[in-house]
Amino acid sequence: MKKMDLLAKVYILVIFLAIYLPTIFLIVLSFNTSARITFPIEGFTSDWYFGEPKSYQANPSYIPIIHDQFFWDSVFNSIRVSGITAVLTCIIVTLTALTMRYRLIGRDVLFYMFLLGFITPGVLVGLGTILLFRLLGSTITEFNMIALNTVYASSFGFILMMARFDPYLMLYEYTASALKVGPVRVFRYITLPLIKWEVLSSAIMGFLLSWGELIRNLWVARGTGVVSTFVFMQLTVYPLTTKWFAAGSILAAVSIVGLIIMATVLSRGTK
Amino acid sequence: MVRHTRYVLLLPGLVTFVFFLIAPLAIMAVMSFFTPVWPGYRTDLTLNNYVAYLTSPQFRILAFNTFSTSLVTAFICMIIGFPFAYCYTFKIKSERTRNYITMLLLAPFLIDWTIRSVAWISILGERGFVNSMFLSAGLISEPIKFLFTPTALFIIWVQTNLLFMIFPMNLALGRMDPEVIEAAKVLKAPPYRVFYDIVFKMALPGVICGFIFVFVNTISDYVTPSLWAGGLQTLGLSVSNYASQFLWPQASAGGMILLVACIIVLYILLKVVDIKKLVYE
Repeated sequence: MKKMDLLAKVYILVIFLAIYLPTIFLIVLSFNTSARITFPIEGFTSDWYFGEPKSYQANPSYIPIIHDQFFWDSVFNSIRVSGITAVLTCIIVTLTALTMRYRLIGRDVLFYMFLLGFITPGVLVGLGTILLFRLLGSTITEFNMIALNTVYASSFGFILMMARFDPYLMLYEYTASALKVGPVRVFRYITLPLIKWEVLSSAIMGFLLSWGELIRNLWVARGTGVVSTFVFMQLTVYPLTTKWFAAGSILAAVSIVGLIIMATVLSRGTK
Repeated sequence: MVRHTRYVLLLPGLVTFVFFLIAPLAIMAVMSFFTPVWPGYRTDLTLNNYVAYLTSPQFRILAFNTFSTSLVTAFICMIIGFPFAYCYTFKIKSERTRNYITMLLLAPFLIDWTIRSVAWISILGERGFVNSMFLSAGLISEPIKFLFTPTALFIIWVQTNLLFMIFPMNLALGRMDPEVIEAAKVLKAPPYRVFYDIVFKMALPGVICGFIFVFVNTISDYVTPSLWAGGLQTLGLSVSNYASQFLWPQASAGGMILLVACIIVLYILLKVVDIKKLVYE
């Protein structure tokens, strides 16, 4: 039995290593003196992070990441877009999931519409949005990106959230209602405490999916865009250099620290 | 909850989905029947866009590339992801450890997709880590070409999408009572029957859900195959190419064919297991 437990832990570790392998290489190679991606590293430098920009560095691929204003603009755009998507996803998913527990007219139709949100390839939603807005004579803005990401993330969030509901949740709510407690108080004191982690998970899901989404965002991105579209466009025009590994390492470090803090908060009071 | 209030609560989701999903798809469906003229379209209705797409010699190759790569990736993710989800659910007892594992699984996904993809150059490239190791160990005399082949595509896709397979599997396995497995063991059921008839069958909605997540994610992604699999042509890429030339009716027809194909695959998968059971039954 103990042998099996050990084997299970080793397997988890191996999968972790496989998932983190590109991240490990990103971090190690971001300190390479060479601009080319080579293994092993030719020398150690932090210039790709903090170096002073040289006057001959007209090519953006050679500007140290700290001085690349467009990159940081795209990071802040990403934080804004993903943050708003997270909030909207959280609201839509929570309201819909709580309502869909009841036998409503057209519940299955709604369920399949949500399913359609994630089975529809991003390229189609992007193309359809462009056609719709051309027809309406409206301009594509950052709001479209938020809306497309919200639809996509809500579909995922909805399915994952509903599957995690406490099976006795409705019973507690009925009991509270039978005791003449108003619906707002039932929600605040019974429902919300029991689904708070699902609500938080849907927000995290919204943020993550929006942050990582490339295909949908490519169709509707304007200006600097978000990180995913900015880096993609940069690398289709300019050569790949170690600078982008430095950019990835910064994002990795911030993500890992942020998520560890979140795990610590979530783990308060648990064993 | 008062009955009509329930319908009001559905409004935010309904409005968002109708305006940003159903309306774009409806416009695209109509556009796919318009007559193409460059640049743009005439509103005369025709089936020619579909006929041209479906009868083109390229179509079979595009469809094969698109569906075979996505299905194989989803299958590989399932094979790798199921043991992970099983170990995570039943072998990690501490909730705190599980929280950390979950959060750390998410971290690589916050690194930009493009940067994460190019990191594979340092691992799979001709002068990358894998080839350097093999060469120095004397296992090969010349570097193996991993990049710009389907192998690279599968490695990148599996690494990127594994999480989408693991999460729904965790959900399904997490709902399982471990005592059911113990009961089967007490009844002297052989391990393969415990696994197949109890664990796997009870986790099947999660497995199918994960399969759909990965399949849909990969079928949407036309950038990775074109960059990392030596310019592999897919249906998504052909839709994008038509759109970039402002050939909206052809792009829309290609898009509708892709959507219908996705719905058919989903329909077949949902015949195997009713996903609604995982969600609200």
